[in-house]
Amino acid sequence: MAARELGPGQRRFSPASIGADLVLLAWFVFSLFPLVWMVLLALKTDAEQISTYFAFTPTLENFATVLSSEGERLTSVDFTDALLTSVINCVGAVIVSLVIGIPAAYAAGRWKYRGSNDVMFTILSFRFAPELMVIVPLFVIYNQIGLFDTNVGMIWVLQLVTMPLIVWILRSYFQDMPAELEQAALLDGYTRKRAFLMVALPLVRPGIAAAALLAFIFAWNNYVFPLILTGSQNTPVTVAVTRFLGGGGQAYYNLTAAAAIIAALPPLLVALSIQRYLVRGLSFGAVKS
Amino acid sequence: MTTTAPPRTPAPVVQREPRPVPAWRRGLRPYVLSIPAVLIIVGILYPFVLGAYYAFLNYAAVVRQPVFVGLENFANTLSDPAFWSSVRVTLFYAVVATVVETVLGVGIALLLNRSSLIGRIFERVLILPLMIAPVIAGVIWGLMFNPQYGVLNYVLGLGSTFDWLGETTAIWSVILVDVWIYTPFVAILVLAGIRSLPKEPFEASAVDGASWFYMFRRLMLPMMWPYILVAVIFRFMDSLKIFDHVFVLTAGGPGDATRTLQIGAYQNSIIQLQYSRGSTYMFLLWVIVFLTARYLVSVLGKAQRRAAGSEE
Amino acid sequence: MGSLSVKGLVARYGKTVALHGIDLELPDGEFFVILGPSGAGKTTTLKSIAGLVDQVEGEVRIAGRDMTGVEPYDRGVAMAFESYALYPQKTVEENLASPLRSGRNGTWTPQQQAERIKQVTTTLGIDHLLKRFPRELSNGQRQRTALGRVLVRPAEVYLLDEPLSHLDAKLRAAMRAELKQLGELSGTTTLYVTHDYQEALALGDRIGVLREGRLVQVGTPAQVWNEPVDTFVARALGQPEMNLLDAEVSGGEARVGKAFTVGAPVADGRVQVGIRPRDLEIVDQAPSTERLVLHGKVVLAERLGRSVELSVDVAGVQIITVTSDHRVQEGGDVALAVDWDRVHVFSADGARLGAARRPEGVLTGGAR
Repeated sequence: MAARELGPGQRRFSPASIGADLVLLAWFVFSLFPLVWMVLLALKTDAEQISTYFAFTPTLENFATVLSSEGERLTSVDFTDALLTSVINCVGAVIVSLVIGIPAAYAAGRWKYRGSNDVMFTILSFRFAPELMVIVPLFVIYNQIGLFDTNVGMIWVLQLVTMPLIVWILRSYFQDMPAELEQAALLDGYTRKRAFLMVALPLVRPGIAAAALLAFIFAWNNYVFPLILTGSQNTPVTVAVTRFLGGGGQAYYNLTAAAAIIAALPPLLVALSIQRYLVRGLSFGAVKS
Repeated sequence: MTTTAPPRTPAPVVQREPRPVPAWRRGLRPYVLSIPAVLIIVGILYPFVLGAYYAFLNYAAVVRQPVFVGLENFANTLSDPAFWSSVRVTLFYAVVATVVETVLGVGIALLLNRSSLIGRIFERVLILPLMIAPVIAGVIWGLMFNPQYGVLNYVLGLGSTFDWLGETTAIWSVILVDVWIYTPFVAILVLAGIRSLPKEPFEASAVDGASWFYMFRRLMLPMMWPYILVAVIFRFMDSLKIFDHVFVLTAGGPGDATRTLQIGAYQNSIIQLQYSRGSTYMFLLWVIVFLTARYLVSVLGKAQRRAAGSEE
Repeated sequence: MGSLSVKGLVARYGKTVALHGIDLELPDGEFFVILGPSGAGKTTTLKSIAGLVDQVEGEVRIAGRDMTGVEPYDRGVAMAFESYALYPQKTVEENLASPLRSGRNGTWTPQQQAERIKQVTTTLGIDHLLKRFPRELSNGQRQRTALGRVLVRPAEVYLLDEPLSHLDAKLRAAMRAELKQLGELSGTTTLYVTHDYQEALALGDRIGVLREGRLVQVGTPAQVWNEPVDTFVARALGQPEMNLLDAEVSGGEARVGKAFTVGAPVADGRVQVGIRPRDLEIVDQAPSTERLVLHGKVVLAERLGRSVELSVDVAGVQIITVTSDHRVQEGGDVALAVDWDRVHVFSADGARLGAARRPEGVLTGGAR
């Protein structure tokens, strides 16, 4: 980031800005401490996890244990399987949402057809609706039609999370796109479908990437759906992590910490790569940065 | 500039038989494109409606054939003190969390806007707590809250018996975690808003000799208001249905100190398998959410119009 | 090559009516300019002909074929957009190749494409920019690329939407000359749209003046300039605008304030007398009756390079004139003469009634 342009009345290292820095420092200590603590905890041996705080000898064993069958034996959680499940569910959910959402976002962004606002706001309402309202009947239905504890079942339910995000963000990008580019393509001799693929889609590619990745993050972090709608076979990492401590017998804080870190890593890495588009995505297109 | 003769336009393609496309077919296009999405919407609305319908039945796992019972569930629930306790807990949680996060978030955004060194470094990591699964955040804080082995009691010198998740402390602890996770959301949104504000009014004001405080109150705040409101709306609505980290930290307890509405619904539907009772909770929560949403969106619209007007 | 025929074209955007029934008949090869202020409907007219507007009524025929309901890619028209609409992710070369690759403009081998593109870009002077992207080009270069995309492919009709409006004044003048050359040499029916009257007069075989979705006048540049159908058209062409002076007519003579009298084509009523600033000439000989002569005092003299714009007070009536005679000073007296047939008379609500003539009762030296 280049040197920040100073606003009126601002000096680069004035007392005010130093004071600001100090207060910010306080927040960041608060913000990062738990994460640092987790890393420390994950590096401790079984003995040290309860006997030491900051002075210990670090070991990477726990990460290996968590991912191995040894870990499964100790905690009755198959963590690698959970990771795989998370990947399948989230990638699947995002792909489905893209296939369905891109045309819908295009239609709503390019034409203001009758009912487009209703459709958009219905989709938005899924974002704010209490999940359990849908889960209870789905619990019953899934058990009846055999979708309980399956990948397909989760991919379907995750549409509640991924589709509103993708449709709203992409609609905002399509609205911003000038119509004349597609019109020029039409006059060049391309059909509307080809004009869309050739002109519109490439223009919103960054938006699609951002929306897809953000949707991936939220799908990955989802807890309440798999908690209720999956059993023991196809649980994702979010549920798996919580099971680490409930195994009865010994409490493996260090393993839990290691698992938590592994579970949290993919969304963090993805988030760092789409930093630029985060604001527009998080606000569903309401705020453009 | 041009001295060469332009190329003669090549002979047009003769076999251009224009095929008219009737207007109605053209009008259908947006609808056709939206069909898959609408199907999904219907597919999702069906369980919703079904869930709402459950509230009018006496559905439970033990009931063979659920029957329609009209408003009986609502009557029971609305007279059940456990329900109202959930409402109190939820509203208290939502209001306190939203207020704290808004104040902190706006403050952080303003500070980041003004800061020099630390701000630029830490802006990149501001988002981290938000990107961690809330349930995992709950797990992390749960480990820290541990009275004997958790680090908080040690670092803060509270001894090994201070219970962060006790009867009176639990609600504050879960709110604390909420603040930890979601304040960055407010901060990022508001910061983007601040950065998108036009510079001219501030420059003009500075030339006129206005103090920073004046500029803040009269210029910045009104223009920032729509962004703050968007953040408030998202936070408040999300807080009403909070579940993940609260559940994993306290499962609603101790007692019903942290039993939010969704946790209450979970206990009814999934633990006690009283599907209809849980659905009633959700139905009522949905009503609260719906009314709040409509109110807040209208406030947002007004603020946006006012901000646009004040920019001219 | 094709003719363009438009009958009763009505265009709507939602509830607003943008065009109220446009009629145009362009024979093959004509360069027709639509002149109008912003919002008049110029772009809408072009887009309706191109098939880009959803709600249209009326008939559009290109090369004799009815285009009702026909999609834009089947119409055989090429359009240069005011915003250029160049594909941002394609180089100049790829932008120009796009219409050749679509399959609806003939089949072109890659060599044929390259050759054709080279021809067109050389003519336009952008052949050294083939590998650049639109964001790396200046406005003038983008405009010529947009033109190139129009010229590179076969078309019955060219539609050009204010191609020069985003260029600075000097570039605009240069491009005007180039466009005239291109127009003559390509021989394709062209519908050109602008708000700049100079472009209209310089480029058009015929001009159509558009106002709020209606064509107010259609004619050759000479016709529209010399016989404007109303005050709107009269003021649309010419800078500074035509002087319009209120006058009372009685007995066939129009009296402009206390300043002067002209013979009017009507017997009574209120009229507006119009005189173009450039039609007025500074004279210092004895006034003749062959022309209308006005005496006045120079109130304001604005020197604009070669010419001077004078604001002259003629017995209380303000008249603007433009002259290259720099001898006149502010505060000085001046005599302005204008031919009688250059004095227009309009009715009070704007319609043109005709030219003025010498008022009766003055010694004449001959008929007009």
